[in-house]
Amino acid sequence: MWSTLAALALAAATPALPAEDPAPRAEDVAQEPAAADSLTIHAERVYTTGGEVMTDAVVEVSGGKIAGVRPGRSAPRDAVRAAAVTAGMIDLSARLNTRFYSVEQAVEVQPHLDVADSLDLYDPEWRRVARTGVTTVLVNPFDRNVIGGHGAVLKTAGQDDLGARLVEGAKTVIRGAIGTEPSAGNHPAFRRPTDFYSRRPTTRMGVEWEWRKAFFDAVAAQRLPEREFPGADELRAALAGERLLMIQAWATQDIRTAVYLKEEMVREGFGELDLVIDAAAEAWREPALLARSSTAVVLPPFDDDGRVGPDDAFLPWNAARVLVDAGVTVCLSSHGSTGAESTLDRQAGLAMRGGLSFEQALAAVTTDPARILGVEDRVGTVEAGKDADLVLWNGRPFEPTSRVIGVVVGGELVLDPR
Amino acid sequence: MKTLPRDNAMTRRTDRAPVPRALASRALMVGLSLAALAPSASAGDKYAVKAGTVITMNGDPISNGVIVIEGGRIAAVGGADDVKIPWDAVVLDVPELTAFPGFVEAHTSNGMDRPNENVDVAPFLDIRDSIDPVNFYFEDSLRWGITTINVQHGSDCVIGGVGMVVEPHGMTVEELLVRPASGTKMCASPKDGKSRATQAQALRGAFRDLRRHLEELVQEKRDGLDYAHREALYQGRDLTGERAKGRAMTGAAWTVEGLELVPRGEIDEKQEPLLDIVEGNMPVWFECAQPMDVRVALEIARDNGFLENTTLVLGPACWKAADEIAAAGVPVVLGETLVHTERDPVTEEDVETFVPGVFEEKGIPFALSSRSSTTESLWFQAALCVAHGMTREEALAAVTTAPAAMLGLEDRVGSLKPGADGNVVLFSGDPLSVTSFVEYVVLGGELVYDRSKDVRTRHLLEGVQPESSESLDAEPEVEEDPRRKADEDAGDDGEDDD
Repeated sequence: MWSTLAALALAAATPALPAEDPAPRAEDVAQEPAAADSLTIHAERVYTTGGEVMTDAVVEVSGGKIAGVRPGRSAPRDAVRAAAVTAGMIDLSARLNTRFYSVEQAVEVQPHLDVADSLDLYDPEWRRVARTGVTTVLVNPFDRNVIGGHGAVLKTAGQDDLGARLVEGAKTVIRGAIGTEPSAGNHPAFRRPTDFYSRRPTTRMGVEWEWRKAFFDAVAAQRLPEREFPGADELRAALAGERLLMIQAWATQDIRTAVYLKEEMVREGFGELDLVIDAAAEAWREPALLARSSTAVVLPPFDDDGRVGPDDAFLPWNAARVLVDAGVTVCLSSHGSTGAESTLDRQAGLAMRGGLSFEQALAAVTTDPARILGVEDRVGTVEAGKDADLVLWNGRPFEPTSRVIGVVVGGELVLDPR
Repeated sequence: MKTLPRDNAMTRRTDRAPVPRALASRALMVGLSLAALAPSASAGDKYAVKAGTVITMNGDPISNGVIVIEGGRIAAVGGADDVKIPWDAVVLDVPELTAFPGFVEAHTSNGMDRPNENVDVAPFLDIRDSIDPVNFYFEDSLRWGITTINVQHGSDCVIGGVGMVVEPHGMTVEELLVRPASGTKMCASPKDGKSRATQAQALRGAFRDLRRHLEELVQEKRDGLDYAHREALYQGRDLTGERAKGRAMTGAAWTVEGLELVPRGEIDEKQEPLLDIVEGNMPVWFECAQPMDVRVALEIARDNGFLENTTLVLGPACWKAADEIAAAGVPVVLGETLVHTERDPVTEEDVETFVPGVFEEKGIPFALSSRSSTTESLWFQAALCVAHGMTREEALAAVTTAPAAMLGLEDRVGSLKPGADGNVVLFSGDPLSVTSFVEYVVLGGELVYDRSKDVRTRHLLEGVQPESSESLDAEPEVEEDPRRKADEDAGDDGEDDD
């Protein structure tokens, strides 16, 4: 009875939820029941937003959204219990289901291809990732190309329908890479029979050349239509700030190149790119440059010896702390790895070892990636009206003495602690 | 206030004058020959650690605890009010830190040259010939609080050689040594190239060969033949003193009658280590990768009378054989994988089993193994056990007192109590927390690790900072890169955009 009254009182007090999707399609209605169920979670500590903690609180979930967070004095007996609840974690560098054959290799610059066309939502790997506490992912195309195409922002669980899983309102992300990786498979014709991979770029500077040429041509095509190429409109949209541009750059020189590219576009009057650097392992060497150019970074998983990635970049454990102290937005990621040592909660713990506070580490896996994707009004915190994406812990989050015991995605209990 | 050496993190302390302490008025005059100790006496005679928390693994944790070490052994552990620090002890006063006994690695094949020989049955090999004291493994062990390590041969063998227990500090094997002859390695899982059937046959065959050899020796003696004696001389073995005497065989499962006729020195040196095992004088570490290997291991141990001295080293799936192991009453060392995952081939659903939980439930003594030598070493494995529902005490015991007992060193390592080795690890917080660092390590009453001087850890933690292209405060300097110059030309416009 108490819970009903409380729920009613809460419903009266809760501000109006954001507008739902337009009329649901027939096939969606048939599968609906799971999302519409309500759920009550009772936790000793609920980390709501920006470092705030509610002790002994109850999170009410209804219709796939968080209905409210209230004191837990009278939690119902069938409530799901946990020691701690945080918002679902967000991984900006997941690589689910994009196998090598889904990489288009014919063209180096293809900003218009969409990775969503190559996703297999039936792959059980999604569920495994969801059970590690990651509820929203940005899936990117591989970095075999200089500009690989669009990434896709999805929930890790829910209906097996792409339209339902894609997070509406997320920025469109154009993905590319600077460094050795895009050129690694190409070779000059010298001394080898010419084959398909005998093409540019073959070096780091060739990769950068492709970037600059792509932007220059895209802008020039507005006056010279013969310069138009598939995806040029996407690059123009990026210059207009309508796209998020995510460039993978491990090493210091590549990170600098990415930022200089942005600054060159500004200098030429083409526009200002909204830039995020992925796998920015050596970003700790250029905090001022990144802060000055408002460039956010995503860090790859920490390594025992500090050496990460194809360019053997050095990632010290205090990298996140150095960048946060300089005012750079930092996100942690698993960089496509599905191993237990690369999960986001472990990365957050290691970032804390490197000097981040708990609140900063939590932000690096929840609110910061949400803000970068432009979905901070939907996910990233435990507040009424947000999507019901939650992680339940049996102790202090990110410590190895506790682990993820429950995960809720869109109101559905993907991992049940009971 | 800390009193610390100024030299390198990893070296032994140099001579220091003893420092009188504020407690001197209540201090006992410990030691009989103080007058003989000049102020520049050799280091490490008396050492005391004062820590904010002392986890003894021998009772409740102590707040504001004191550990007094004399002659390399712990003399006293207790609260600051209960333990008197000798006036001439060097004191490590660290009220912000947590003292801990140091983790015990029950079984590893790291820190050595190739873990196995090519020979199937090689019980005559000794790991002292293979351990490499300067291997990074030992350095990392110290960094992460592991102070006692049982190094054994690898699992690519039928019968491997003899291992030893070491501490991870020293430039020679002798300096590392804690206890020699800690056990012989055997493996029930097939050596590379063998099938399980041939592996089992090879194991049985090794002991059959031993028996045949001993019987031959006895028969030759009875027949008045001296082949064995001549062979021993030819091999240059010691035939004096005890080695010249024969001794009746004492085996729990089988014996060879008449062995007292044979001088011990005449037993083939390749066979004698197996005789030590059968006579119950050498522990055995028996590796089983799969649950089906447990049966073979227990059979070999029972049939040759060394089940009591056997510890099983298990692969992740071996929790399925837990009942068999419980019935045999042997302790186990669990491998690096604590959560065993089996994937249904049709539904692709995972079934996960928390392995230590199974052994705890069945009452089988178990120790944990490190998963890596650094971030996933024993501290992490113990923390993972807590995450999966084990109590802190059980989890910490599985990496301290339980492995110490398996090594027969429960009086020496794994807990802070009088008589134990003077090994103390000082953490900046809870030993099981990811944000805790090992700040100091004391081994045998000497400070052997000081994190503030550990260059490698510092590099890993803070990175090497070359001059970046711009500093946070200063204006960008003019450099040769034309793009840099173009930046400056764009000047204020660029900065206002932000």
